[in-house]
Amino acid sequence: MKPHLVIAASLLLLPRLTISPAWGQAKASGELTIALSSFSTETLDPVLGGQVVKFYLSLIFDYLVGVTPDGRLSKEGGVASRWEASADHKRWTFDLGQGIKFHNGDELTAEDVKFSILRAMGKRSTTGYAGPLRALIQEIDTPSPDRVVIVTKGPTLIIPPYLSRVLSTEGMIVPKKYVEAKGDDYFATHPIGSGAYRFVEQVTGSHIKLEAVDSHWRLGTPKYKTVLFKLIPEETTRVAMLRRGEADIIEISRDRVKEVERGGFPIYTRKDDSLLHLWWVQPWENTPIKDKRVREALNISIDRKEVAETIFGGMADPGAIPFGLSWAFPDVNFKVTPDLAYPYDPARAKKLLADAGYPGGFPIEVYAFQLPGLPEGSAMAEAVTGYWRKIGVQPKLVPVDYGAFRKRWLDQTIPGAVGYYNLANRDWIGTYALIEKMAYSPSKTSTTKDPEVDGMVREVLRQTDREKISALMRNIFTRLRSEHLGVPLVYLHTPYAASKRITRWNPGSVMYDLNIDELVTSK
Amino acid sequence: MRRFILTRLLQSLVALAILSVVIFSLARATGDPLPLILPMVATDEDYANARRYLGLDQPLHLQYLKFVAHAVTGDFGTSLRARRPVIDLIKERLPNSLKLAAFSMALSLLLAFPLGVVAAVKKDTGVDRMAQVIAVLGQSLPTFWVGIVLIEVVAGRLQWLPAGGTGSLAHYLLPGFTLGWFVVAGMMRLLRSGMLDVLDAEYVKMARVKGVAERWVIWKHALKNALIPVVTFAGIYFAILVTTAIVVETVFAWPGIGRLAYEAITSRDFPVIQAVVLLTAVIVAAVNLCVDCLYAVIDPRIRYAR
Repeated sequence: MKPHLVIAASLLLLPRLTISPAWGQAKASGELTIALSSFSTETLDPVLGGQVVKFYLSLIFDYLVGVTPDGRLSKEGGVASRWEASADHKRWTFDLGQGIKFHNGDELTAEDVKFSILRAMGKRSTTGYAGPLRALIQEIDTPSPDRVVIVTKGPTLIIPPYLSRVLSTEGMIVPKKYVEAKGDDYFATHPIGSGAYRFVEQVTGSHIKLEAVDSHWRLGTPKYKTVLFKLIPEETTRVAMLRRGEADIIEISRDRVKEVERGGFPIYTRKDDSLLHLWWVQPWENTPIKDKRVREALNISIDRKEVAETIFGGMADPGAIPFGLSWAFPDVNFKVTPDLAYPYDPARAKKLLADAGYPGGFPIEVYAFQLPGLPEGSAMAEAVTGYWRKIGVQPKLVPVDYGAFRKRWLDQTIPGAVGYYNLANRDWIGTYALIEKMAYSPSKTSTTKDPEVDGMVREVLRQTDREKISALMRNIFTRLRSEHLGVPLVYLHTPYAASKRITRWNPGSVMYDLNIDELVTSK
Repeated sequence: MRRFILTRLLQSLVALAILSVVIFSLARATGDPLPLILPMVATDEDYANARRYLGLDQPLHLQYLKFVAHAVTGDFGTSLRARRPVIDLIKERLPNSLKLAAFSMALSLLLAFPLGVVAAVKKDTGVDRMAQVIAVLGQSLPTFWVGIVLIEVVAGRLQWLPAGGTGSLAHYLLPGFTLGWFVVAGMMRLLRSGMLDVLDAEYVKMARVKGVAERWVIWKHALKNALIPVVTFAGIYFAILVTTAIVVETVFAWPGIGRLAYEAITSRDFPVIQAVVLLTAVIVAAVNLCVDCLYAVIDPRIRYAR
């Protein structure tokens, strides 16, 4: 047989992915395929996965407290239809919606909610936000099947957001009877929730397949019969899959956006998805970094607009506030006024260095490593060292893997050296939790030592007046900025390319959540 | 012969024991895996809990002894990253690697045999030179580059074949070819040189003198003898294909043992790293043992010499 006939015959035999349009249909049909570069830990149990696996777990499980696509707590989006605090803010009462069922048919009750929260706070849990819950929660009561009362050790406002979809997975509700009957290990591979999709299959390193329930209390009859999350590490492969119709949504790097867009594929973007932020490893009291003028010089010597344009293909905006995650700003009524933006002023940077006693600069180590979702990491680190070199600083690039850097950072063996993160954007409570880890002296991961910031961070937890909390958060941002306690480089926008049949999608602005709900809901 | 096999088996076991110590030590020398597993906001208590739950709080020698004691029963512990038994992950991934390696090997043999024989028979002609070019390219082009070009052109632009993942037979073609091209090149060269030696041998000349048809001389008398090194090398190549497909499996999103190893290394998943390396060593040792035995069967001088 001639080669072209072999190819033609092969083409006829190839199983093509046929997806019929599902919009507006009464019954779920077709498949939605989402190809991503990483599934993180690939775990299916909410207490083992943490926030980074929310994007697929939130289709299987419902949260106690729901959230809107723009990150506001929602009484329609979670199993709690209302909640309120006692006057002293030490008793939080949650009323549950009626008729919510798990995939095995069991009714979701207050006992399931209590079990799920205790499980998230348990020793097996590695969710990350379990720590504050352990510290806060004294006991959980279930006075009736549709009411849960959480009693805290002190007054607090953070219980609803901590158990909501806005943060991590602690608020996901699992079926008590099923988990107790089958055991944790079985549940971890055969999870059951009350979400719009039930778990069908997982092949680690390959895919996670979910199947629509007949009707979901929140999303109605899901549009797609199955949702398939495919793990495709190589971008060329993801793009080819999109072209062949093997994928509906793919993660795409910023530098390939224009090319894929030219092919007629719509691009959906999570604006300000993360803040690319550089910081100095503690303790830096005996390094040039201790001088505020040096910190400012290192900030204003970087042309952030140029970095955004050249390294991130224009899909980034200059950052201005150290640890200032912009999705928190509206929550606390904080405005980034033009005077807060860092100008590009190398001449002034040189003068600041001279005034600080470093006219000839000083050596500084910049650790360069790859992070998930940041293929431009090394290029960015090189660019930053280039800017600093221009003002006389002598940066030394140290290429390492992230784990090796993290060890040196936590062991504090490289004082004053520079590391970086692409900090996932989040609401005020998430931002507060981040600042508490990274800019609060008692934390071992703190990159700053500022008594004023420390005092305000402590005060936030004691407050139950929302206005006072907002004022404290605004003051924290202002102080971090005025003391230049970090190098907020750029806000990164994360693009996703979609097949032509995806005509509308808002990937939302909730941390590690792609708002797949909007693609599958029939409501 | 029995003594020969027992000696070889013992040598393999000693090598595996030494390797288990080396890999156990090296995996831990890369640092603490918990910072890569736990979220950034994890507390000291979260770290302590995770360390206790995963058995990382015990002294290293106890961890090693526990690892060995369990490993001999097929229990390689729990993956730190996926929180599932390592043996389950291996059972899930190994068949995929074996299937891809088998397909790749079949494709390689299918291409290498005619090319090698024709290149030898038509020595110094255009066909021979073309075969040499294929061999040079196969052994010099980086696998990741070949894979990406094939995906971009064959799957992305022409849209003839699936770009990645597993499923139908069509899913095997691009990764199978990418993985196998190197083997095609090696086997073809081996076959060509073997054929050239044999075609010059006295018994082949005798066959020709006796008037045996040239086709018969080449494909029966010559090829049969030129095949001996090729067959033995095919076994080793197969082990190599199973155990070194990290790049191909990553580029083509093929959920095999290579990618499992890569994911484990990048997340410092000790139990998985140890299990995959040991498994790899077992496969290589088993194949080597088989090859040694095969040699001994083919050439009795080998077993008498030891």
